[in-house]
Amino acid sequence: MPASTTAPAATPSARRRPLAWTLKDLVLLVVLGVVFGFLYWALVQAWTGAAILFGDLTQHVLLGGWLLAAPVAIAIIRRPLAGLLAEVLAAVIEVIFLGSPVGPTLLLAAALQGLGSELPFALTRYRRYGWLVYAFSGLLGAALVFFYSAFRSGWYGTDLLTIRLIVQLISGVLIGGLLAKVIVDALARTGVVDNFAIGRDLSRAR
Amino acid sequence: MTGYLARRNPTVKLALLFAVSLATFFLFDPVTPAVLYLLALAAIVIGARPEPRALAAAHLPLLAFALGILMVNALSRPGTVLWQAGAARVTVEGLEVGAALGARALLIGILSFGFVVCTDAVALLTSLYQHARLNERVCFALVAGYRMLQQLGGEWEVIRYAQRVRAPLGRHGQPKAGPARFGLAAFALLVMMVRRGERVAQSLEARGLGRGARTVWRPVPLTSHDGWFAVAVLGGVALTIGVSVLAGVARGPSALFGG
Amino acid sequence: MPASHPTVTDPVVQLTEVTVHTPRRPAPLLHTVTLSIAPGERMLLLGTSGAGKSTLLHTISGGIPHSVNADLSGQVLVNGRDTSASTVVDIAMTVGVLGQDPSSSVTMSQVDQEVAFPLENQGVPAAEITGRVQEALSLVGAAHLAGRGTSTLSGGELQRVALAGTLVGRPAVLLLDEPTAMLDAHGVTMVRAAVAAAGVDGAAGTAPAVVLVEHRLDELAGPAGLAGLPPRTVLLGDGGVVLADGPTVAVLKEQAATLHRAGCWLPLEAELWAVAPAVGPDDAETAPGPDDESAGRGGAPIADVRGLALLDSFAAPSGAAATLRATPTPGRTLLEGTGLSVSRDRVRRRTARRPGPRILLRDVDIRLTAGEIVAVLGANGCGKTSLLLTLAGLVDPAAGRIEGQRPGLVFQNPEHQFLRHTVAEEIGYGLPGSAADRAGIVAHRLAGHRLEHLADQNPHRLSGGEKRRLSLAAMLAHDRPVLLADEPTFGLDRRDTLATATALTEAAATGRGILFSSHDLRFVAALADRLLVLGDGRLLADGPIEAVLADADLLRTAGLTLPPLVSWLLHRHPGALRRTLHRLDTAPAVDPVPAVVS
Repeated sequence: MPASTTAPAATPSARRRPLAWTLKDLVLLVVLGVVFGFLYWALVQAWTGAAILFGDLTQHVLLGGWLLAAPVAIAIIRRPLAGLLAEVLAAVIEVIFLGSPVGPTLLLAAALQGLGSELPFALTRYRRYGWLVYAFSGLLGAALVFFYSAFRSGWYGTDLLTIRLIVQLISGVLIGGLLAKVIVDALARTGVVDNFAIGRDLSRAR
Repeated sequence: MTGYLARRNPTVKLALLFAVSLATFFLFDPVTPAVLYLLALAAIVIGARPEPRALAAAHLPLLAFALGILMVNALSRPGTVLWQAGAARVTVEGLEVGAALGARALLIGILSFGFVVCTDAVALLTSLYQHARLNERVCFALVAGYRMLQQLGGEWEVIRYAQRVRAPLGRHGQPKAGPARFGLAAFALLVMMVRRGERVAQSLEARGLGRGARTVWRPVPLTSHDGWFAVAVLGGVALTIGVSVLAGVARGPSALFGG
Repeated sequence: MPASHPTVTDPVVQLTEVTVHTPRRPAPLLHTVTLSIAPGERMLLLGTSGAGKSTLLHTISGGIPHSVNADLSGQVLVNGRDTSASTVVDIAMTVGVLGQDPSSSVTMSQVDQEVAFPLENQGVPAAEITGRVQEALSLVGAAHLAGRGTSTLSGGELQRVALAGTLVGRPAVLLLDEPTAMLDAHGVTMVRAAVAAAGVDGAAGTAPAVVLVEHRLDELAGPAGLAGLPPRTVLLGDGGVVLADGPTVAVLKEQAATLHRAGCWLPLEAELWAVAPAVGPDDAETAPGPDDESAGRGGAPIADVRGLALLDSFAAPSGAAATLRATPTPGRTLLEGTGLSVSRDRVRRRTARRPGPRILLRDVDIRLTAGEIVAVLGANGCGKTSLLLTLAGLVDPAAGRIEGQRPGLVFQNPEHQFLRHTVAEEIGYGLPGSAADRAGIVAHRLAGHRLEHLADQNPHRLSGGEKRRLSLAAMLAHDRPVLLADEPTFGLDRRDTLATATALTEAAATGRGILFSSHDLRFVAALADRLLVLGDGRLLADGPIEAVLADADLLRTAGLTLPPLVSWLLHRHPGALRRTLHRLDTAPAVDPVPAVVS
């Protein structure tokens, strides 16, 4: 077998610049924001009936859906601030492209959600991707944004405050946390994320 | 998109939207936001000339949302009871805070509607790149995202059809629908768009995005008109809030706690 | 033995001993590939599926090693610069890439913005951009699209706009990865013309070197035959090794059998060389060459007399071929639609719809009987897909009614229908009965569609052909009396296309009714009993294959063009169309006897 010529054995450039975000990563965040934003809208269309039934509490039940983008983004890209950026971009898309009536203050809420979701992953150095980390991610994301929303929407001083908090936290853990892990694992199996950090990590572990 | 507002610089409009929303954050009286809402509505109708049907359609969810807030607060906030029927009781404080929050929701909602109706998304992103120093890769990743968003509706429809073909039949002989079906279709959509996103990123890089030092072919204008516009809007809002403070109508966050 | 290609000037692309590995597969994607491309050279890149053609293009564009999770050893020089030491964005200054998926080729929402984008990124002054955008769009024949929004464009238009965006930066190398694979017949023609225009020196500067990956060589060659193909061909074999590199005609002649067995679509001459190697251009007398007009009127599809004689022999009635399907006698009606009006509007909803849904087809009567295979033809946008959706019961007809059991429908993009994590589960999805019953059906389908070795794979990881086989298997598992299929051979290579034809034939033989839409007229002619032609907002024709295809006016109204082979057979051997095509399709490839070296 002929020997290789003098060219250096090339390495994927991600190994050479581990901290630099690639355009592929940024576009993935945008894709997550666009898809989850669209699905949220489609869900609301499909179940306006349920929304009327739950009334004002629906927003707490559905809050977990808002949190999904962050852990999914972190698990695929495995870089610091992926979750925060994913949430902020999703909010930007909601406000600018989809004309959400909540307005640009949604960005503040999104930042808090992203921060809360990011924390458990950051604390485990972006190396642990088990059920518990995801669950805490959903819990913290839901909790952090709750206190902001409570102020903004005037829930303080009402009888329902505790109920709202509990529903929101449960939604956060189940939908924003555990469901996120289900989605990430399923995505990894399909092979569409093989070229991201998750794909490299999984193939190295094999 | 026609009108005075459509010609204004998108970054300035976005910044104003942000500023006004933040300004109302600390208002908890019903009158000030209501006045601001009326002013905003007038400005949008004159300055953006929206379709009447679109304007009405935008109000439906806003009114529903605002009424919902009013009712929840009226029924669940402790204070001086106005009316009682069994377990349900309406309080004065509840009505006041509810009206305030409802009015604020209307205001922010109408401002968002006004913004979207007179601003082109791509022009906005270009303007953010030009004037707000938004990173070029983030900017054009979002522009590409806008295009992908346009494709989503069609893809979603096809996926829903495609999956209905093999869906088991329900009681009435129709394919079963429900959260499980939604979830499967949602996942298929996600897989497809993640893959497409990777190819879009390759396309963008193949077009040279990320080299730095780009020119803008059709720059979004930023003129002195925009400056005056900003001054007028901010001045108007400040004036309204000032007047209501002086008139003793304005109330701060303490209203939440019965103060 | 690969022929060396003498270059006078420095090559614009130089690969030296390039090997590419991925962690997922033990075998390399490319193995010690060495080749050089001269400036302005036009090259065709062929190979079996999985032979590494896309990988090779990625090494030139820099995708490997920078974007894709793969390791590269060896050296790739583009315009003298090592790709490993560069970035994709820098390499993009000299290399233009066009992929096969129109929806990801164009990233902006306005056409002119899309074409101006590369120039903006290069820092070209704004004043210069306008002219160059106009020039690039004119070059690809898309000048009339300049002010349009990209969401309103068809696939062919999108690919042309994307090509303009690729050319506007005046690249030295143009890489085309199956640019027409996902387009309808009209789009294919337009994009081919645009690519041909791109390869010509002109006002836009010297022409770039073009590397074209294309599996439909028959269509690429077109009426000009082999002369219509790029002058040089590189053939990659399994494991990513270069099997041949030289003038196209010589490579095709030498490797015809290999390519044929690998499933490539070959131009007719090459296909005939593959099945009967004694037939060749050197020692053949030539008939008057094919030209556009005579080919359209049933003139000879190829120049080579011996090839024509071979076709004549295929057409001759002899002992019945065991696998040839006889036209069935009409059986029980399985599906009947009367007075249908087909629109594009949405799924059944009980609320009143806004008035006036856009009607695509009016007054359509369709009947499908047991054991028959019917094809639906029509230009893109005429309503074929909407008709299939309506017949499948997914969309309400705007008028008329449909009777029959719930049909199965196989979609154009198989991925839309995937629901499960493994192939075996996918086939078993939604099947009634006990677990044991299901397992039996699944096993039967896996065997019948050659999917057994993939039973535990995730459906999204399969190759294009495998995905189609899976979607067909999963639909047939449901054992519904009627099977509808929307472009079942879209983007497939020859081997998978024939496998699809076999699967549909077997399904019909068990008493099912098959209705499919396609724009591949040769495939239709070889398989279908009856043809429906849509056009002009209605059903233009409904009759036996030969009768419908022979009607030139009808085809013209519907915007369809017959391939020269089919047209010739209809004129010269009426009644033998299906027999000839069947024999041609099933004739085994024969390796040429190597020339004796004296």
